[in-house]
Amino acid sequence: MADNLADTTIIESAAPARRTGMLWRILRLWRMYAALDLAFIAADLKLACIYVFSDAITSIALVTGMLLLAERFAGIGPWSQIQIIFMLGYATTVSGLLNTFFGYNVLMISRRIGRGQLDHTLIQPQPMLVSLLTEGFVPFSGSANLLCGIGLLIWAMAGLALPITTGWIVLLLINIFASVASVLAFSFLWGSLAFWAPRAAEEISSSATQLLDQLKSFPLDGLSPVLLGGLMTVVPVGMVAWSPCRALLGIDAAPYAGWITPFVALLLALFTILIFRKGMHNYERTGSQRYSNLGHRG
Amino acid sequence: MIRDLGKYWKTSAMAATGYLGDSPLFVIDYLMRLLRVTVLLAIWRIILADKGPIDGLTLPAVLTYTLIAEVFGPQLSPRTNLEGAFWEGSIVGRMLQPLNLFAQFTAEAAGTWLFELCAFSLPLLLLAPLLGVQPLPASATAGGLFIISLLLGISVGLAIEFIFGALLVLLQLPLWSIAQIRTALTTLLSGALLPLALLPPAVGALFSWLPFASMASAPLQIYIGAGDALALITIQICWSLALWPLAHWLWKIGRERMVSYGG
Repeated sequence: MADNLADTTIIESAAPARRTGMLWRILRLWRMYAALDLAFIAADLKLACIYVFSDAITSIALVTGMLLLAERFAGIGPWSQIQIIFMLGYATTVSGLLNTFFGYNVLMISRRIGRGQLDHTLIQPQPMLVSLLTEGFVPFSGSANLLCGIGLLIWAMAGLALPITTGWIVLLLINIFASVASVLAFSFLWGSLAFWAPRAAEEISSSATQLLDQLKSFPLDGLSPVLLGGLMTVVPVGMVAWSPCRALLGIDAAPYAGWITPFVALLLALFTILIFRKGMHNYERTGSQRYSNLGHRG
Repeated sequence: MIRDLGKYWKTSAMAATGYLGDSPLFVIDYLMRLLRVTVLLAIWRIILADKGPIDGLTLPAVLTYTLIAEVFGPQLSPRTNLEGAFWEGSIVGRMLQPLNLFAQFTAEAAGTWLFELCAFSLPLLLLAPLLGVQPLPASATAGGLFIISLLLGISVGLAIEFIFGALLVLLQLPLWSIAQIRTALTTLLSGALLPLALLPPAVGALFSWLPFASMASAPLQIYIGAGDALALITIQICWSLALWPLAHWLWKIGRERMVSYGG
């Protein structure tokens, strides 16, 4: 009895220790992947420059259209020009964080699943969560978007008469985190299809994120309630930038406005975990065809 | 000649039917495209509400422009499987086939377009009244000129496709990064997403002289009856005449420097 109690105590006290250990491991792995990314840049500077340059050009091109529209019409709907710049900066920052932390097809998870590359993650002696949180960390070659986004945010914040307090900055960071989580969850949700249809759904995550990328820059004010509801939940375009920026800029003055994105992101993440786990269970039975003689990439 | 056309037709047919076998989830892609066009239409209604014609563009004309841009999306920004062939290494097999390389890829792309026209474009056109959009061209003449302009736009787009392909080989550039830049620039500069007439006048005028505008903006302007059709088609012809010889020349000098990515 005493032994059992002692065991229970050890297990209970081990749980926080495990969590702390996992956190340290994630930090150590980020440091290692950062070093590898730096080595990649140092190995072929021309190639690395092209990667960074292409990310920057793409990022600028994606927001330029909306910037030019805002310039032409002196703002869009209830958004002034400078508020549009803030929203574009926010959206680009979110994309930048996704590129920086979830490169190497972690964001495009359907490719990894469809191509059988998930096996490479599963055979590692660590939880899959740790692998997925760290393997795609490319702070040097993948941060061009992030730098562009932060630049736009600073530009907009300098031009906006915002009461920037600690609370506001915390809300900004929470919302950015929630927006990143929304996009990641959406990509993983669609990407889970690849567990059941590896060949057909191999590119589904890229289609899903492309849709968000194309629409994230548009202000969604004035859409019909049904369409807007869909764009806030089923296809969370509004979560990428529009909804959080409305709250942060005071366009939506409701006291709960700043918490809509974190709340929806949480629900979306929970639902995604449920579906992804179902997919994993299916994967346990079927496995990957990649290395079989008759595999679709064989 | 007829026999050759038969071979290319067979390639197109295989590509069209391969769609069903290879990617039965294409329906999800189509639903996403439908969602995109629905959102874009709603956004234009917000942006242009209570505004009169802008450079001759009324709200109904912009809505038609947006809808037709989606209906003919793959033709207004034509892409072949060239990048995929580089990536997989199957370009080697393509070069061994007794068929013109450009025509092979074009025929294959045309096959997928045929399928998409039936499975997505036609239903979207039929849905237009439900979306509150008038889908017909400004006039019968505009409709006829649109077809000519669309074919010229495809010609310019394919020339750009093969020029980019040749540059990848010649300069040994990373495939997906260049594809990413090209997609982003084409979306912005071609006018397929945002009509160039709605951009600041100086910027719109500058963009309209670039070859990208000949791919999408020119045929779409003709369709809605905005812009000088003759001038737009002349610019398209000029770009087509300038770009195809360049594409041929680049492939000629780059052929021996081809290094397949493989795997």
